[in-house]
Amino acid sequence: MKWSRTLTITAIGALGALGFAGCSSGGDGEGDTAGSYEFAFVQGVAGDEFYISMQCGMESKAKELGVTVNTQGAEKFDPSLQKPLVDSVVASSPDALLIAATDQTAMQAPIKAANDAGVEVVLVDTSIEDPSFAVSAIASDNIGGGEAAFKAIAEAHPDGGKVLVVSVDPGITTTDQRAEGFEAAVAENDKFESLGVQYSHNQPDEAARIVTASLQKDKDIVGIFAANLFAAEGTATGVKQAGAEDLTIVGFDAGPAQVEQLKAGTVQALVAQEPASIGEQAVEQAYNALEGEETTTEIQTGFTIITQDNIDGDAADAVYQSSC
Amino acid sequence: MSNSTKAPGMGPETTAIAGIDAKETRFTKLARTQWLQILIVLIAIIVLFSIAAPESFPHWGNVRLIIQNASILAILAVGMTFVIVTAGIDLSIGSVLVFSGVVAAMVMRAMGGDGWGTAIVGIIAAILSGIAWGLFNGLIITKLKVPPLIVTLGSMGIALGLAQILTGGVDIREVPAVLTNSIGYGNVFGTVPVISVIALAVVVVGAIILHRTRFGLHTFAIGSNEESARRVGVKVDRRLIAVYTLTGGLTGLAGVLSLSQFSTTAIAGQTETNLNVITAVVIGGTSLFGGIGTIIGSIVGLFIPAVLQNGFVIMGVQPFWQQVAVGLVLIIAVYVDQVRRAQASRGGDAGVWRHLLARRRG
Repeated sequence: MKWSRTLTITAIGALGALGFAGCSSGGDGEGDTAGSYEFAFVQGVAGDEFYISMQCGMESKAKELGVTVNTQGAEKFDPSLQKPLVDSVVASSPDALLIAATDQTAMQAPIKAANDAGVEVVLVDTSIEDPSFAVSAIASDNIGGGEAAFKAIAEAHPDGGKVLVVSVDPGITTTDQRAEGFEAAVAENDKFESLGVQYSHNQPDEAARIVTASLQKDKDIVGIFAANLFAAEGTATGVKQAGAEDLTIVGFDAGPAQVEQLKAGTVQALVAQEPASIGEQAVEQAYNALEGEETTTEIQTGFTIITQDNIDGDAADAVYQSSC
Repeated sequence: MSNSTKAPGMGPETTAIAGIDAKETRFTKLARTQWLQILIVLIAIIVLFSIAAPESFPHWGNVRLIIQNASILAILAVGMTFVIVTAGIDLSIGSVLVFSGVVAAMVMRAMGGDGWGTAIVGIIAAILSGIAWGLFNGLIITKLKVPPLIVTLGSMGIALGLAQILTGGVDIREVPAVLTNSIGYGNVFGTVPVISVIALAVVVVGAIILHRTRFGLHTFAIGSNEESARRVGVKVDRRLIAVYTLTGGLTGLAGVLSLSQFSTTAIAGQTETNLNVITAVVIGGTSLFGGIGTIIGSIVGLFIPAVLQNGFVIMGVQPFWQQVAVGLVLIIAVYVDQVRRAQASRGGDAGVWRHLLARRRG
């Protein structure tokens, strides 16, 4: 058939074009401008507004300093997917690696190997077991964030009650610390009882399932703390599905979908981190390390509590971006 | 299928019959195999990337990391090739890998110690648990006559759930140092990763079993036409159970190797492993309908997504393009396989490329 020949040639051409399209859309090559650094940012997962906001912060700071940042991220928050990415990134010989590790143990060796290969490492958001070789580790004060989340629930329900934490996966330093801060605050308050921590594997539908099941079991839950963006999205969905009322949901992270849920009243408060600030400081720390200037080993960024009262006012800037 | 010798006045039937008798050079036969054509695609991709990023891509430092990361998948691909050649499928490999890793880690933690004694017990425990899952899959598929897709979909969930129950959802991070140092990150001859040498050994043994033993021959026969194989006297049920058990054992081995590389059971990981391995095996020329396949094709098919991802990351291409590219390669590979099957069943004598590029006569 005549079309079969054109189809085949088109298919081969498409594969070739894909290769060259990559050429033009990607970096122009290594070290073309004398003295300009190339940083590689490996996100925890692609498509997450938290990391996208971080990327935006990095890119704006990079523009200021004359540095280029190349962003990569796996489709899932999964160390077996992140490790090959890190290895490939290292092969491209960036000057610095800015990375959000998906597992504190599994990513220890690959990130250390990157450092051994001469790449400066800055850990953003999540950390690894032994971050001593890294230039800097920059994250929000996650324990404080967890405490603040409990405070919001305690204020809304002065009589006390049962509370639940929906986290992501054990082994992720940030969400573990948020849960830790929350549970510690609950332990200090006699009126509240903790139902423990459930893991949603960074999938909103899993979080929704956990919440509906928990609400079936304990109808008197007064507060749920969702420890990250996807967990918060799923928790709000789950509460809505279960038709529960008078329940305070406090979510961590302030993506556009969560802000919608806040405005609609399904979620009562959001603890917004400052990912753009984390990104800016990461670029700055890496740049300082390469220029031989002073660096700070540990940086804690703050957070903003967004409620329906301040979402249109002071807290409008704290919302995460979905594109730069 | 061959260089036909056309005598004047020969119709299509006589051409086909003559075709069977006509001699075919080894080279032309080789040139038509799917795996060689896929290898050409892989080489083309490698050349493209080497031109695009000459300072980073074509270096041993980068190549050895690609090979190291593909090693565990290669072991899984060997098992999967056997399974798909029987016209079956195994979706549970990711979960069984995690489960085996968990069992090994728990056994090693209970034994204590950092040395080879503990490590070997852990390795055996992992392989045994993988074999147990393979037996489970095989028995249900053959005795209860449940389709492989459904059975392995079920065991995928059960294995992962059990792994989470055993650990309470918390990863075990105590792995004997000797495992991590000598297998996970150890090198032979200074730079060849030990884990890749192990994978190579598995691949070679797998290839010998599939292509040179009666067991392999029966595997192809079952995949080609299960009923005919049964009537000819092949013990189909036993062979199928053996195939799934083999896959299970290999998955168990992969589980302990993953443990040695990540130093943690990584229960949340391996989410896409099953589909990635199936993609690799299918790209490599193994037909999902069974009866056709090669181990070497699966390995070549495994390297295509790995090299694509590596090359794109080095060039700074957005991560989502990588998935687009792998999806395209998969569809093209299966299309080529379909064309070849249609050719073969029609008794045609032209190769795939000649068919695709030739104008239709009449």
